[in-house]
Amino acid sequence: MSFHGQNSGIARRAFLSDLGHGFTGLALAALLHQDGVSRADPSLPWSPPNGKPHFTPKAKSVIWLFMNGGVSHLETFDPKPALDKYAGKSIAESPFKSVQDPERLKLARVTVVNDANGQQRNKIYPTQVRFKKRGQCGMDVSDWLPHIGGCADDIAIVRSMYTTDDNHGAQTEFHSGRHMLDGEFPTLGSWVHYGLGALNHNLPQFISLGNRVYWNLKDGHYLGPMNDAVPIRVNPANPLDYGQSARPISEKDQKLGFDLVGKLNQLRGVEYPSDPSLAARIRSYELAFRMQKSLPEVMDFSRETAETKKLYGVDNPACNDFAMQMLACRRLVERGVRFIQVQHGAGGAGVWDAHGGLKANHSSNCLKVDQPIAGLIQDLKRRGMLEQTLIVFASEFGRTPGTQGSDGRDHHVYGFSVMMAGGGIKGGAIHGKTDEIGFHAVENRHYVTDIHATLLHQLGLDSRRLEVPGRKRLDIDHGKVIREILA
Amino acid sequence: MIPSWFLGACSFLALHAETDPHLEQYQKVIQPLLRERCFACHGALKQKSSLRLDTVALMIKGGSGGPIVLPGNPGASAILARLKSTDENERMPPEGEPVSSKQLQALEKWIAAGAPAPANQKPEPSPADHWAFKSPVKADPGAPGNPIDAFLSKAWNEKGLQPQNPASKTLLLRRVFLDLTGLPPQEEDYRAFNADQSHDAYEKTVDRLLASPQYGERWARHWMDIWRYTDWWGLGAEMRNSQKHIWHWRDWIIESLNAGVGYDEMLRLMLAADELHPSNPEKLRATGFLARQYFKFNRNSWMEETVEHTSKAFLGMTFNCARCHDHKYDPTVQVDYYRFRAFFEPYQIRTDMVSGEGDFEKDGIPRVFDCNLDTPTYLFARGDEKNPVKAKKITPGVPDFLSRGFVEIRPVDLPREAYEPELNPLVKENASRAIKEKVGQKEKELAALEKPEAAGKTTAKEVREKKIQAARKSLEAAGLELKNVEARWLAIRLKALGGEKEKVEAQALAAARGEKEVSAALAEAALLNAEVEHLQAPMDKKAPAKTKMDAAAKALDAARKAVEKPGTTFTPLRASLKTLESNLESEASRGKPFPKTSSGRRTALANWVASKENPLTARVAVNHIWLRHMGSPLVETVFDFGRKGTAPKHPELLDWLAADFMQNQWNMKKLHRLILTSRAYSMSSSTVAREKNLANDPDNRNFWRMNSRRLEAQAVRDSLLHLGGKLDLTLGGPSVPAAAQETSPRRALYFFQSHNDHDRFLSQFDDANVLECYRREESTLPQHALALFNSSQAWLAAEAINTRLQKGLEKASDGVFVSRLFLLILGAPPSEVEKTACLEALAAWRLQSSAKAPTQDRLLLIHALLNHNDFIMLR
Repeated sequence: MSFHGQNSGIARRAFLSDLGHGFTGLALAALLHQDGVSRADPSLPWSPPNGKPHFTPKAKSVIWLFMNGGVSHLETFDPKPALDKYAGKSIAESPFKSVQDPERLKLARVTVVNDANGQQRNKIYPTQVRFKKRGQCGMDVSDWLPHIGGCADDIAIVRSMYTTDDNHGAQTEFHSGRHMLDGEFPTLGSWVHYGLGALNHNLPQFISLGNRVYWNLKDGHYLGPMNDAVPIRVNPANPLDYGQSARPISEKDQKLGFDLVGKLNQLRGVEYPSDPSLAARIRSYELAFRMQKSLPEVMDFSRETAETKKLYGVDNPACNDFAMQMLACRRLVERGVRFIQVQHGAGGAGVWDAHGGLKANHSSNCLKVDQPIAGLIQDLKRRGMLEQTLIVFASEFGRTPGTQGSDGRDHHVYGFSVMMAGGGIKGGAIHGKTDEIGFHAVENRHYVTDIHATLLHQLGLDSRRLEVPGRKRLDIDHGKVIREILA
Repeated sequence: MIPSWFLGACSFLALHAETDPHLEQYQKVIQPLLRERCFACHGALKQKSSLRLDTVALMIKGGSGGPIVLPGNPGASAILARLKSTDENERMPPEGEPVSSKQLQALEKWIAAGAPAPANQKPEPSPADHWAFKSPVKADPGAPGNPIDAFLSKAWNEKGLQPQNPASKTLLLRRVFLDLTGLPPQEEDYRAFNADQSHDAYEKTVDRLLASPQYGERWARHWMDIWRYTDWWGLGAEMRNSQKHIWHWRDWIIESLNAGVGYDEMLRLMLAADELHPSNPEKLRATGFLARQYFKFNRNSWMEETVEHTSKAFLGMTFNCARCHDHKYDPTVQVDYYRFRAFFEPYQIRTDMVSGEGDFEKDGIPRVFDCNLDTPTYLFARGDEKNPVKAKKITPGVPDFLSRGFVEIRPVDLPREAYEPELNPLVKENASRAIKEKVGQKEKELAALEKPEAAGKTTAKEVREKKIQAARKSLEAAGLELKNVEARWLAIRLKALGGEKEKVEAQALAAARGEKEVSAALAEAALLNAEVEHLQAPMDKKAPAKTKMDAAAKALDAARKAVEKPGTTFTPLRASLKTLESNLESEASRGKPFPKTSSGRRTALANWVASKENPLTARVAVNHIWLRHMGSPLVETVFDFGRKGTAPKHPELLDWLAADFMQNQWNMKKLHRLILTSRAYSMSSSTVAREKNLANDPDNRNFWRMNSRRLEAQAVRDSLLHLGGKLDLTLGGPSVPAAAQETSPRRALYFFQSHNDHDRFLSQFDDANVLECYRREESTLPQHALALFNSSQAWLAAEAINTRLQKGLEKASDGVFVSRLFLLILGAPPSEVEKTACLEALAAWRLQSSAKAPTQDRLLLIHALLNHNDFIMLR
């Protein structure tokens, strides 16, 4: 539900949202945002966001890469030699027995009672891949991610993440900050969209790429559908839902129709001069027409050079799909899209969910995303766009140090890694630490909303100033900025 | 005691209240801070340490620890010390972040300035005096005629508002059609209405629409929003949430609304039909409301949602806020939350067999029953299910301040057919029907094999004969099964009805033997088939085929032995299948007998909720209905009538309507009629010539005009099909699966919708969120434009309308065509400029090469008008 009406101000706010945030491009947004900074006085009564950041932003856009299923931190960004040393022993027999102290395990909040997954796995499983020191900074990145490793000096790793949902509801938790059993809450992208005005008047400002299933199909929730991501496909012939006419119609004929609708709607203004939704409707038609025309061009890669395509791995069948999405991301950001949410491998629990056969699973999934992500980072960098574009690479949780079955790892909420790059994030930085077997985050622990806070901070937003009356948020919803990784 | 100098200061300050910056600071910063962070424990709701902070005087008076504000002396004011304390046990408030230093500074300055207070500051009112907790009474409307207009007229007069003129006759017709049926009028409806000059033409229309079956569909969809209707979802065939065939509940809602069942009775049945009418399958459908709450993975979550949404939907109360702590705004304490939960604690869900379908996967009525009568309810410390307070079992009950109308709980003895549904011959008939189909199938298979041409040229004679033998055996097995169903049913019945011991045993033996005979026949058929396979296997595959054959022979041997010693146990016939309580429940416990009594808890709850003494229920319902006719509710917070909610815009009107609703036996149709025949309802939604009103009451709080509304997703989609005459008006039935929705002619309320499945077209227009939808969102998005311009639905509608309108209009002028079209699609004739714009567009299209066919240009015009703002608006 997204009813949030309390008083007359809300009706007006909904209208402003349509105008300023729902879909960008509308006159008010043009007046209000862009590079100015909003200076609302917190002691004044609540008013809707005006599309300006609250303080000078470092980043303008976000590319949010979410690996569905749960990436093993132990085989990507957080090497643990102790796993090899004690491989085959139970955790209880190892010197790290204390990690299973029941008090420390209370963090996990069970969604599925007596679930077959999300259990403690006791037999220590050795690391399934080698790590190498990469870049000037000498950051350890696994051999499954050689291309990302090549960008070591541009990326930061937070190795001390934790979450609480021991099943894949943690996917929603990472996006909204709330455990699935608490209900549905706006996702990070929708907060950004709600808070910031548009950079481009022809494109939706909050876009979702990749299949989205099972969990949390929407974003806005109580912020309203205007803050849902618009699903886009990397297909120039059919990039968005209802983006082309089901019945063949010439562009000229269609344009006449759009123009007539606009004119007739305007004429209704004679009888309904103070109807805000009429004004919003007129603008929404204009935007729809522009969107429909602009998106195919964005998704048409014919003018990209062969070298650029190669950089992303477009020519490589092993990673072509994701490469196309990453290239689309750059093109969207280039055109001023604020927030692109990319889901990799959604469907069922998610492709990264390696309860068995972790080596085959992760090596193949890494292959699918490694070069495209590295290509994106490099391409943005050489175009001078990386400074203003924040990239996040995350998954709902990590995977257990112990083995599930003979060759898998289970869900693990107590410690895992997130990679970030660009948008004023310090390159070559490693922040936080898990214990020697990668079980608990032990130093500079961060809940998932700390990533939200960091990202909002770089965009110049204070989440507390975005709160909606009657929808009080908890401290944990806001999170804390991870200042140590800021450049 | 308040020092006398302070009183003096007060009166002095009162005179200068407008200009005193410290007082302003109190009103703008300090009091809001205290309200937000302190009032819940130190205010009207609670007075911890006998302390209240809701007026300055009360702060100076202090509590058991003495005064907390000493005017002029911040250093000695306890409030500052407590707020600033670095000791977490000492610091106030105990929850949340400490008060910010900026706020502390403001407080300090204000105290230093003598803690000025507003003149005549009144403490917060007592919670018991909250308007919604007192019974609604009918005040004198003060004028004859429709009381709605009488009450609103008072407001108009007081505020100097001039009510808007009536809407045009055609727009009013479109409004009332869509409001009551979710479908726009057809051309003939407009014609008939325009032609009817009788004084009660409009009233007759209202009555006709209220009596039409489409009324039930339209309003069922509204109530489905509020009552959280959702089809089931899960993974594959595994059901995780709601229930398969929950559409029976949806159909019950439609039928009840059409039949004029009272709102109170509907609530009673939804909460407790299994106790009130345990043998009535029609009424049992109502409990789909509770069956829908099912969540396989987590009973706590299931119970939490049940408590939250029962209280929000029926009572307009947010009991859920008291799960972890006493309510911060309403006089609901934490234990009240668990007492409310206890009403639901014993209930589980089962699916009752329906006539004609024995497979629970295919059909059946999901309904609730009290299953676990002894399951205790415990309070969870801080709401954490890991910390139940087991020292005390919580008994069901309602909060004290709302307990009027609550009668004690009495267990209900259930009739035998409720707890032993297998006694109903339905179960035997359904099982037999399925097996008869099987017999027929087997007969056909055998006949096919026996046909000479089936022999073919290459099939060895031996193979063919064995195949025929196997088919005969299969047929024989099916025949035996048919007999066995009868035997099993008799055995069950005999035992349940307490027949003589020998007879019961003999029948059980017969049933068991019969079942084993079926197995033996099937085993024999299996062996024959294995022999066929062996014969046909190529040489290198003979060995595995032989192994299979040997196994089949062994199985047959065992099956034959079982016939000799059949025992007395047999597979029971199920007339009602319990839904797994959770992923932990085994099939065995699922088959346990149903309890013979029900706790009676939900009956007590239902009677209290639907009691005329309950001050909330009628008000909440009236507000929902008002909102959906008038476009704006009387109480904005439609699910929160508590102290955190907003006050009613017109309390006397709301109370009058609520009281009247109850006096009329909660008759919804009467209430609709009252609203729809008011002057307020008939007014135009335009603001033209009412500029002064717009300045005085821009948000139309006083209903001086009608509110324009955006049509709900279902109404947009149904209107498209209906105007083209393509809508199938069949009532009820299983939900239309997602894959069939785009081309389905059924009304959209029948579309399967769940957490996982959403119709793509409906999703563009703020379709109901199945988790919570007390009010639909009315967004204005570019997606609407894309869906209406590009979807197949919009094009098909345009084409169908074109076909319809062109009949008899082929030769008519464009002008006539445009006028007809405007009326049909928008409910209003075009103005001259609008008409000109359309004529110009038609001419332009004609000039363009693509609109060659004679009706193409008109088709494009229709399509454009379906994109007109006012097509998806209710003006």
